[in-house]
This record gives sequence, C-alpha cells and structure tokens, in this order.
Amino acid sequence: MAVKNQKLHEQFDAAASTTFQGELSSGKPIFHGVSIFVDGFTIPSSQELRGYMLKHGGRFENYFSRHRVTHIICSNLPDSKIKNLRSFSAGLPVLKPTWVLDSVAANKLLSWHSYQLDQIATETQGQPKLSAFFPLKRSPFSCNYATNAIGQPLSKIEDQTPKLDAVVTNNSFGEGETRKETEQCDVLSDIQLKVDSAVNKNSYGESQFLEEITHANIETDIPLNESLIKAKDEEIGCNDVKLCEPSTSEPGDATSDSILAENELKFISPGEPSTSHSTYSTDKHNISESSNSRIVMSSSHSTLEDPNFVENYFKHSRLHFIGTWRNRYRKLFPATYSGTKGTNSSLHTRLTDEQATVIHVDMDCFFVSVVIRNNPELQNKPVAVCHSDNPRGTAEISSANYPARAYGVRAGIFVRDAKSMCPDLVIVPYNFEAYEEVADQFYGILHKHCNKVQAVSCDEAFLDVSDSKIEDHQCLASIIRKEVFDTTGCKASVGIAGNMLMARLATRNAKPDGQCYIPADKVEEYLNELPIKALPGIGHVLEDKLKRREVKTCKQLRLISKESLQKEFGLKTGDMLWNYSRGIDNRSVGAFQESKSIGAEVNWGVRFNNLEHCQYFLLNLCKEVSLRLQGAGVQGRTFTLKVKKRKTDAGDPVKYMGCGDCENLSHSLTVPMATDDVDGLHRIAIKLFDLFHIDVKEIRGMGLQVSKLENADSGHQGNQKNFLRSWLISASSTNRDQCEVKSIAEGKNQNADGNLGQQSCTNMIVGSDILSSEGHVNRDSVLPPLCDLDMGVIENLPPDVFSELNNRYSGKLISFMSKRKGKLAESNIGGMGTSVPSVVPLRPCKAEKTCRYICFVCSEIFACFFLIKQSTVKEVSVTAASGMVAGNNGSSFSRNIDVMPYSLSQIDVSVLHQLPEEMKAEFLELLPAHRKQECNSDPVPAESCPQQSSDSEYTHNLSGSRGSISANEYWLGNPPKWVENFKMSSCLVLNIFADNYYKSGSAGKLSSILQRARSNFVPSLGLTPDGLDDAILCLCNLFKQYIEVKIETDIEEIYLCFRLLKRLSKKSTFFLEAYNVILPEIQSISNNLSIEALKLKFEEIFQNQAPRAS
Amino acid sequence: MYKRKNQSSPQGETARILVEFMEVAITSIVFLKGVYSPGAFERRRYMNVVAHKARHPQLRDYIHHSLTGLLPSIEKGLVERVAVVFFNKENIPLERFVFKLTVNQAYDSEVEKTDLEFSLKSFLTKLSVSESLTKVLPKDCRWQIMSYFHSLPQFNASTGVESWIPTDIQQWQQPPLITPIKSMSSEPLGVQLYMEHPSLSGSQL
Repeated sequence: MAVKNQKLHEQFDAAASTTFQGELSSGKPIFHGVSIFVDGFTIPSSQELRGYMLKHGGRFENYFSRHRVTHIICSNLPDSKIKNLRSFSAGLPVLKPTWVLDSVAANKLLSWHSYQLDQIATETQGQPKLSAFFPLKRSPFSCNYATNAIGQPLSKIEDQTPKLDAVVTNNSFGEGETRKETEQCDVLSDIQLKVDSAVNKNSYGESQFLEEITHANIETDIPLNESLIKAKDEEIGCNDVKLCEPSTSEPGDATSDSILAENELKFISPGEPSTSHSTYSTDKHNISESSNSRIVMSSSHSTLEDPNFVENYFKHSRLHFIGTWRNRYRKLFPATYSGTKGTNSSLHTRLTDEQATVIHVDMDCFFVSVVIRNNPELQNKPVAVCHSDNPRGTAEISSANYPARAYGVRAGIFVRDAKSMCPDLVIVPYNFEAYEEVADQFYGILHKHCNKVQAVSCDEAFLDVSDSKIEDHQCLASIIRKEVFDTTGCKASVGIAGNMLMARLATRNAKPDGQCYIPADKVEEYLNELPIKALPGIGHVLEDKLKRREVKTCKQLRLISKESLQKEFGLKTGDMLWNYSRGIDNRSVGAFQESKSIGAEVNWGVRFNNLEHCQYFLLNLCKEVSLRLQGAGVQGRTFTLKVKKRKTDAGDPVKYMGCGDCENLSHSLTVPMATDDVDGLHRIAIKLFDLFHIDVKEIRGMGLQVSKLENADSGHQGNQKNFLRSWLISASSTNRDQCEVKSIAEGKNQNADGNLGQQSCTNMIVGSDILSSEGHVNRDSVLPPLCDLDMGVIENLPPDVFSELNNRYSGKLISFMSKRKGKLAESNIGGMGTSVPSVVPLRPCKAEKTCRYICFVCSEIFACFFLIKQSTVKEVSVTAASGMVAGNNGSSFSRNIDVMPYSLSQIDVSVLHQLPEEMKAEFLELLPAHRKQECNSDPVPAESCPQQSSDSEYTHNLSGSRGSISANEYWLGNPPKWVENFKMSSCLVLNIFADNYYKSGSAGKLSSILQRARSNFVPSLGLTPDGLDDAILCLCNLFKQYIEVKIETDIEEIYLCFRLLKRLSKKSTFFLEAYNVILPEIQSISNNLSIEALKLKFEEIFQNQAPRAS
Repeated sequence: MYKRKNQSSPQGETARILVEFMEVAITSIVFLKGVYSPGAFERRRYMNVVAHKARHPQLRDYIHHSLTGLLPSIEKGLVERVAVVFFNKENIPLERFVFKLTVNQAYDSEVEKTDLEFSLKSFLTKLSVSESLTKVLPKDCRWQIMSYFHSLPQFNASTGVESWIPTDIQQWQQPPLITPIKSMSSEPLGVQLYMEHPSLSGSQL
C-alpha cells in the first residue's frame, strides 16, 4: 500500500510538473499546502478536482491519510459518517467542492468556513442543547473545570491565548474583577457567551460579567459532542479560545435595541481569517435569555441557584397565560363562579326562551392591541406579537393585528414568512402584566353591566342579557364596547343573538371593531351560506369527513337527518352538528367548565445531555405542576408523563429549538392518595420516567398531567404544615395599606359570607381567610371571625414573633394596634358569641393580660401558640377557662363537628387535660370513632389532677431528660411507648412518625418508619424554636434508645436508620439538627457500651454530610 | 455436607447449622480477600447459593477443625464472637470480619432448620457482594480465626477447645469503624456479621 501511495505521488508530481502553469511570479500558488481528499461522488468530479489541484499547486490524495490530507471534499455524507464524523474526518474540515472552484475563481485561497458541508454545518452551528440553560454546576465535570478556571489567574489565561490562536477582545479582560468561566461546549463555535446562567451573574453583581469561554477544537472543527468527557485534555480542548462580551457593550450593533436584551449576542471575531465566519448570534432560548439579561441589567438578586428554565418557559408562554388566567378569574369573580356552579354541565339544557339574548364579546387581536395600546404610532401599522424576533425567523407569530392580517400574516406562521409577506411588520414581545391588567378591566366592565357572565378566555366572554335593564341590546353592546375602549384602549367586537352559538357567529361578522345582531328570524338566512368550518366544534377532521359527503355549508348539512349524522359521527357530535346547522344551542350562559386535568408540558427547547439534566428538568416540571394544582386548589390521583421522542429519521426541526417530528409516548399511574406536593409528584414522575427506557438525548418534550382531581378541601392534614409559613408569607407578600387593614376589622361580615371572604382573602392578615384560600377548612362551616381573634393573638404573640410580623407590615402594625386597642376589647367580647363553635377565646383576668385561645381547629398556628404559651399555661385560671367554655359551648359543639380535629394528635394534651371532665367527655365523643381508641390509650391518666400531672408528664416526655436514656422506655411495650408520645406531640413530624409506626406493619422497625417519613416528607414544620428543640430531643431519645435496643442484635438496622436519617437531614433542617445532635451522643453511647467499642461508621456518614446553613 | 448426629437439644442443632454455615462463610471471606490464589478454591453450592470451598487440605482442615472445635462452646452459648482477622507482618490487624453470635439457651422447641438456613443464606449472598466495602490488603498479610468467649474456657477434652490457643494478635487501641454486612435475629439464633477497620483517627495500635 505504501508503495502504491508512493507511486501515486510520483505520478501526481510528474503530472503537476507538466500541467503546473507556475502562477507566474505572483507568489505561491493558490492551493499551496493544501492537500485534498475527495470522498464519494462530487460535482465536479474528483478527476476535475485533481486537475485543479495540479494546476494550482495543491495536492490530491487518492487514499485518506490523517497526515497528508488537509481538507476533505465531498458533496454528501452518509448518516453513519455524520454521526461518527470524528473518526471519519479525523478532525479535518469537510468541505463542499465549490470551495475549490470558488477559490480558483477568486484566485486566492478562500476561508473554508462557509463551505462546510451543510449536514455538518447545521449540526455545528448547532441548536444549543437545553443543557446550556442549566448552570454549569449540573455537570460534574464542568463544575470542576469551572473551579479550575476560576482559580487560575486571569493573566494565565491571557498568556495562553496567543498560543492558542485565539482572539481576545480587550474589553473582555478590561475589568479586573471580571469573572470568567470556561466551559467546554459542544459547539463548533469558537466562542459563545452565555448570558443565561443567571446563577453566577447574580452572585457576582452588576459590574462583573460572566463570561464563558468556550473551547472549541480548531484541530477538528467539528462538534464535540463527547467533549465534556474529553475536555479534561486541555491540549486538545483549548486550541481555539475566544472571548466575547455581552452585546450590551457593543453600541454599534444594529440589533442592540430594547429587544436586544432578549436574544442577540454577537460574537466579535476580528482579524483572524480562519474564524471570520464565526459571527453569529447565540440564538438562545429567548425566553430564558430575556429574563436573564434583564437580571444582568437590573442586577436583581433573585434566583441564585436556579436556571429556571421551566419557570421562565411558562412565565413567557402565552398558552400558559391563557390557561392559568382562569384561576385568576375565578378568584376575582368568585360570585359568578359559585353562582353558576349548579349549571355546570355544558349539556345542561335550558328551557328555550325565545326572549333570550346573548352577547358575545371578543377583544380584537387582544395580544397585539394590548401591547400597542399606548403606542399610537403603531396603531395603524402591521404589528405581530411573537416571543422572539431573531433574524432566524423561525419563531411563530402568536397574534397579528388587522393591518398585518391584510398582508396575510396569520397566527402560527413563522416570522421569516411573515416578514417576507410584509417587510414592514413590527414584531413586539408579549407583555403579560398588561394582558392581566386589561383582562381584569375588561371583565370588570362586563360584570358591571351584566350579572351573567361566562368567561371563555381572557379576552372573550358571553353575557346573558335577557333580563337586562337596558332593553335595546344593541345599545347595551355599544355602551360596553365604548367603555372597554375608553378604559383599556383596546377595541372589542360584539355579536348579539339568541344563543351562544349565534352570538359567537355574529361576532365573526362584527370584527373588527364592530357589532352584529342576528335576530331570530335572520338565523336561517345567515346560516344558509355559512361554511361548516365556521361552526365551533368542526375542525379539520370533521370538515374533511363532511366534505367527502359534499357538505360545505350549513344549508347542505341541514339536509342530512339527525339519525344519519349520529350514526356517522357518534351520538354527541351528530347531535351537535344537527343542532348547530339549525342555529340551535341549548347551552346556557354561565357554565364555567371545571378543568378535568391540570398539567404542564414543555416541548420547546428541550434538549438533554445526560440523565441528570433530565431529572432536574423533571423536578422543575413537577414544581410547576404542583404550583398549578395548588393554584387551582385541587389535588390529583392520576399522573401521566408524556414524552416526545425524536423520530429516528427526523432531522433538525424547522422551528428553532422546536420539537420537530416526534413520537409521543406516555405512561400513567394512579395513586390512592391525591396529592399536589412537589416531592410526591417528583417521585411519581421519576418512576414514570423510568418506565420509558429512553435515551435522554432523544427527548424533545415532556409533560406531566394530573387528573382525577379532588378538591383540596377534602384533603388531609398533611397540608396544614404550611399554615404558619403561608401565614407569615402571605402577610408579607401582599402589600397592604391602612385601608386594607381596615377591611380586616370588617372581616367579620365577610367571613360569614364565604365567597366574599374568598374575594378578600388576599388582603387578610391571619387565620381563617388564609386557611380558606388554601382550601383546608370546609367552607360550609362557619368560619370563625378571626379578625377579632387576630388582634388578640397578635397582641399576645411573643415579642420576637410580633416584631417579625411588624416588620412584614413595615411597622404599620404597631400604630394600627394602638388605634385598635380601645375597640379591641369590645370587639373581642362581641366576637366571642359567634366564634365559640370553633374558636373559644378565653380572657382570664390576669395581671399580665394573658390571652389564651383554646382552639379546636386543627391548625398548626394554634398548636404553635400552645407551645409558646406552654409556660403561661399554668397561670391560666383553669376554672375560668372551663367555665367559659362550658357556658358558651354546650350544644354548639355538635353542630360543628367538621371543625373538630381529625385526630387527637392535633390537640394539645395539656389543654385537653385542663378541661373539666364533662367537657372532655363531650369532646372525646365528638372525635371520629376510629380515633377514640387512641384517646383511651392516652398514657396520661385522665383522672389525675389535670394541672400538675399532665403538665409535668408532658414536658417530661417532650424534653426527655438525658438521664432517661438507660430506661429504654420508648421502646417498651407493644406498640412501643414512643408511638403514643409522638402522637401527642405538637410536632407534625413526630405525629407522622407515630402514624408511620402503624402503617409500617407489626415489625415496627425504625428504618421502615424513617423510610416512610422520607416518602411522605414534610418540608415545613411550622414550629417555634422551643417546639423544635423539644421535637429534636424526642427524636434523639428515640434514636438513642433504639440503638441500645438494637445494638446487640441488629447493627445493620441501626446503620440503615442512620443512613436514612442522613438522607432526611439533607432535605430538612429539622432532621439535620436532629442528626447533628444525635450523632455525637450515639458515638459516646457506643463507646461506653459493654460490647467492646461498637462504634458505627458514623464518621463516614458525618464526613459525607455537607454542612448546611440553616 | 457433614454427618450429623441425632441430637435432641435445639441448641445443639442450632450450633451445628451455625458451625457449618460459618465454615462456608469463612471460606468465602478468605476467598473474597484473595489471600490465596483463586485456584485454591472451588465453586460449590451451599443452601443453593454459590459458595467457595477450599481445595487445599490444610486450609480446609484449619477452618473445619477450628470451627468444629468451637461447637460445644457455641452450643453452650459460651462463644460471643468469632472473628476472621487479617493482619500484617507486625501482627497488627488490618481488617476483621466478626460473627457475633447469640444462642438463646432458654429456647427449647423444635428448630426450624429451613427458616434458619434461609436466614443464613442471605449472609452468603450479602457477603458475595461486599467486596467493595472491604479494604485492599497488603500482599504479605496473614489471617486467623479468633473466637471471643464470654468467660475463659476450660481447656479440657470435653469442651473441644483444646486446639485453641490464646492469640498473639494485637488489639486496636481505638474503637474500630464498623461496617455492618448482615444481621439476623431469630429464635434461637442471632447472628450479626460486620467488618471492623481501624479507626481513621487513631493510630494502628
């Protein structure tokens, strides 16, 4: 072979010497130093190319050799070679034959960059993977790498760069504190600046840029998909380093307008010929970018850790806005919602009232007009809304205004197509705040004029004006339209007809900015010529089917009998077709359809490099779904995970970062207990995901859907964990002023009316309103007027809590308190009468004015207060308390069983024991039957002197002195004693432990209990510091004693327990603290134990435990 | 595998099963640690799991006799622990595999042999996958079987401990790190198998 090659060379040289025209004296021939290898069929043929090479001083290799060949010429590559380009090309440039021709034509060697084979070029320009949106941290390698780079002095990088044939712009190094992060990236691109990792940016502040130097391999100039692994080899990795900077520092850039923040980042690549083609925009996911670059500019310190892809995705998704707008609407206009609850079904037929009049109001190109309402200069220009306006133009138009529509610009087409139709088209981004504002105004107006409003979407609604005061509906419509325009600056069109169907059809004719009335006698005439496609409910499929039957208009449709329609299209659809073609629509206005499922799906921009990215994404998706569930106040039992998998033969999607041609896969799972908890969702999602057995690189979209929804009201105590937190958070998150605080004083009335209470719930400070907004308290029961209580509670809060609360109110609380003080006593007394059923305020006449509430509402808040008050309990006059309770209570208890706690565990034992016997009996009777047993097994002797014994025992159990370790009391008996103790505890976690004991079966191993605790994990405890300490102590004792029990027989179990505890400690600070307390103690125990030196491998556990700031 | 006399007491029965099991387990440990070349062992099935049996008669006899010598003491509940100790030239132990035994002397009903064997089987299964937990031993290390008695045994023929001598292996001064491998506790037998390594902080002696 070597001989053959040699001979071929000789032949070539001989031929060259004869054909070489010797470029005269103009220096080197064009292809000096170039040696090409032609692979496969090319135009011109390989022989012609060889001729060019001969003529112009190049070389031509018949056989590929890594050492002799400098360029590979080919027109087409098989897929296998594309996939394994590196092994095929050995990193050499793979070029189109036109490079040779053009070079000859230009009489100089052209840069080959723009002649790269299309197949490769697209891949190398590459659509950035989703991983780019994640912080470097996610990848273990780049983490190391980044730290290395950070540790490196900048000068060192600079020193390296010339060697590395890199172009470094001065600005990039201009700032001393400029932080650079290098990342090996799977893009050929010589450089890429990523503004998207908000992480570091925020932490380093405004003046510091985050720069990522992407190393690309100049030697190969191919995408290094596997470069993450190879990157450690810097020799290969850093051959071409370039820096660029955010376009913000590039004033000359034409695209750096306000939208620039969104997505344009230009690379600077001065001088260097070999890289002169590398200027292109990063074309990032504009969404994450826009938000992130905003972060850069405003230097807002928000999300530090999170790349927030999912969050940002939905924040910037129009569909998501429309979808979640419903919840907002429900909250804003609950009266309508609940008022029409009865007429829920869309099939509900109404007695056809000839007089009925329905108005359909629809805003004209809502998404555009809202954005441009304050820009008169744009009013008559073609404008379209689109999430991105990058030059690629593969973003889809979401909405276009009428001038634009005149050019043929429609929703759903690509920006580039739209711009080719209408070169003057102005693209504006979404403005979700404005949409919300306008939608609210819009509905405010509708509700003012009509009490029967059915919201269809944020910009579309039906009004039933049959019994409106204004007889002339046309006039009413004009008034509404005018008012909408005056208020919002946006135009609305109105259709008026006898039913919803006709009203909607009328709006078609009314648009834009008009109104249309179709009286009953004109209906038939109107429908005659109406194409069937205009009817709601008829889509492509149905249309095609009908077209095959030569049905194009409603008139033709009417000729078909109902039976035959039903036969062909099914009962419902057939019925609908028959009715609609006659203009019959029996739906009544006001039906607000309950959603049957809630979920979130992302199928744009989803690219994963490894499982970790994918899992992380999944977690974020779960968070989003969880938020939506909570927003809708429901929990679901069936979970469906949908995955879009790239079809094997699918190329790059047309739409930038789109999903392309995909297979849709899904798996679902139904669990017995409805949940909306992130953790639960995540676990389920992971389980479902595992079922797919899919390569994460193939995933183009994921969605999680939750169905079998249940109202969270009927949910379980598990959610109450959030009470204290939500109480404080909601107190801080909504800004209040004095007037709103006043509404609390009036809250009594509002509370009596559940709906109103709901409406104002965002304004409420504390208590039941928040409870109800979270949907934990049965709304049917009379909510206690906590407005009165609150003041009392607040007044008696411990100083630190109070000051915290006061801070949240920015100090207004104090002044408000002092103002209210006079009235307070009065209102408290007034409130007592009505509040007794659920909340009994007791006001013992004590010098220190201790206010004590015996609260049977199963609320963590109050449980906390009990703990706070633990010390003062003794001082409370028991007789006074019981007298009042007994006096006020009597019969009212039985009426309000639903406010009773679910289990004894939610009741403060000490409070229970302070009650007089008869009260206690009555109370216990009211407990659900299955709970009674637990009551009876109450270890605290009920008949003993309530004050002393219960208190002492209680505190004893809680604080469990260290001396009691040897007693092993916790693990005696069956069930062991601790179960009861924990059940009685006010700490939710301990309650759960006790519950888990029963659930985990008779074995009662601590490990299985911990395992369960891990699976139904409670992130928040809502405990005061005191309670927390006690709870930790309890837990510690449990562990200590367990170890003593088990150390002789089952070290494995102990080991397991500690492993589990350690895992739990990573999730919650509560367990972390417990863990830290237990660990040294255990070590000392095991050292002292009779069996020689049985010290478990705790050090190792300890070392693995990264300490976390609490 | 071994001949069994008809014995009435459940303790005797238990002890025999235990000794037999330990013989297999200890052989497996020695194999696992690679003190001898793999050729010194052959694969066998014991309780339907793969175990290793020493081929070299000396090795086999050492393990066998050590343990059968313990049988009477185990039966009486005198043996607290049996340890396989790997130590270096200086007689400093590097790694110990400890069987902690509890034979309930008060137990007097029939021993469910199959249940016991089932539990013991899991030790072997666990042991076979525990190699990653163990430490790599230096080349020239040796090993021995040690047993810990609750009280100093009587060295006479009846107890069968005549072949046992006091050990010259040094003890760790620091409490060791313990890695549990497997535990079982049932009636009338409780066995825990764990590894001990010298503690990270303390010196080797």
